Amino acid sequence: MAREKQVEHYDVVIIGGGPGGLSAAIYTGRARLKTILIEKALIGGLATYTNEIANYPGFPEEPKGEHITNLMKKQAQNMGVDFKLTAVKSVDLTGEEKIVETFRNKYIAKTVIIATGGRPRVTGGLNEENFLFDKGISFCATCDAAANTDKHVVVIGSGDAAIEEGMFLTKFASKVTVSVMHDEGIMDCNEIAKAAALSNPKMEFVWNSVVHGFEGEEHLERVILKNVKTDELIPVSCDNCFEFIGYIPNTELFEGQIKLTNRGYIPVNEKKETNIPGVFAVGDVTDKWLRQVATAVGDGAIAGTAAEKHIAEEEIFHEKIMQKDKVGMIYLYNAIDADSRAFLSEIETIENSFNKALVVNRVDIYKSTGIAEKLNVSTFPSIVITKDGKVAETIMDLSSDSIRNAINKLS
Amino acid sequence: MNEVILDCLGEACPVPLVKAQNKIAEMNIGDILIVQIDHSCAMKNLPEWARKDGHNVEVEEVDDGEWEVIIEKLK
Repeated sequence: MAREKQVEHYDVVIIGGGPGGLSAAIYTGRARLKTILIEKALIGGLATYTNEIANYPGFPEEPKGEHITNLMKKQAQNMGVDFKLTAVKSVDLTGEEKIVETFRNKYIAKTVIIATGGRPRVTGGLNEENFLFDKGISFCATCDAAANTDKHVVVIGSGDAAIEEGMFLTKFASKVTVSVMHDEGIMDCNEIAKAAALSNPKMEFVWNSVVHGFEGEEHLERVILKNVKTDELIPVSCDNCFEFIGYIPNTELFEGQIKLTNRGYIPVNEKKETNIPGVFAVGDVTDKWLRQVATAVGDGAIAGTAAEKHIAEEEIFHEKIMQKDKVGMIYLYNAIDADSRAFLSEIETIENSFNKALVVNRVDIYKSTGIAEKLNVSTFPSIVITKDGKVAETIMDLSSDSIRNAINKLS
Repeated sequence: MNEVILDCLGEACPVPLVKAQNKIAEMNIGDILIVQIDHSCAMKNLPEWARKDGHNVEVEEVDDGEWEVIIEKLK
């Protein structure tokens, strides 16, 4: 029997507590929006898995990722942001009210910021699931390297992470065998890492290979590689295996609602808007070129600000622009266009001539075309006439007579 | 459906985890166990265990350095 869920209303619900979500929280909190951040595990996200972050500006001491994200959390708390540490069970983002449910709460929000990040990709090799994490397959050299002192480890992959982490492992392990998909000498990592790896005496390479499967009793004992050209199986006895073959975005919750790329990432525009109005996405989960703490933080700032603008526009739109009391006239213009500005005096003349029977709104579209888009207007200047909170007529060819006629028809 | 509060304030790892494991074994499906902790290590291992075991978990920071781990027994 399901328990009654407690319903709570928020301006902004942020899903995910990594640097992107935390940065968005700081911005929405500072804009005095009622904000809650929901994180399924620990605040800090993937950044907490790295031992030192050397390239986040402002922290020359190379602190642990956790140190930086804890400070971000404190900053967000100072701004009045609420935190909830639990998994989101389901979302309904399609309506104007966004619904986010956890096992005890139902949150109703005006906007949602998705900051769910990603997780390590696995090879899909035979029996892989039996050895994940503490049984021999690891994704974090920093976490598990010391436990591999004088042992033989296998590294899967040849990107920057694979080779750099593999090099780090050679400081502890007696031997590091690297499985590389490509022909001999070809690696996906940067040239500096490649040169260092090729000259490292503890590193060995198995070229043209992918993982076929994993074997062992309780703990991993052998990785079975497969030559992609000959299909020959190559058993490699080892103590542990590290997989560095990329990340998968955490977007399963949003499938069927938010538009995703074929790899599951969320495409966003310059304002971090998804295909659904009022839903934004930031950080590693988005389809972007560089996934770093520094870029996630930038995304968060943009989404936080865009969410605030979205809420303000929604309020103005419903309460002021689409008012139901009287016939309305909405003048959509670009303030940097001299002719449009000149027509403002004509607007005022019309407003005065109808005395108090007409409500006039002037909307400058220079900074944001959000309101114009809601009214389906894309050429400026234009005039929209409303009655009972609904659009009655859109006039693009502006003349005093045509405007007056349109208003008179409705009065 | 019962709600049980387990006071583990002042207790270091692995005591809160072991106490919670013992307590949840006595409880029925759908019951809620609230574990009060103030050692940050329990903040990690308690939810991790509960999630791995397939229960619903929520952590609430009730005060600075004091948490409630709320676990709904699902199996």
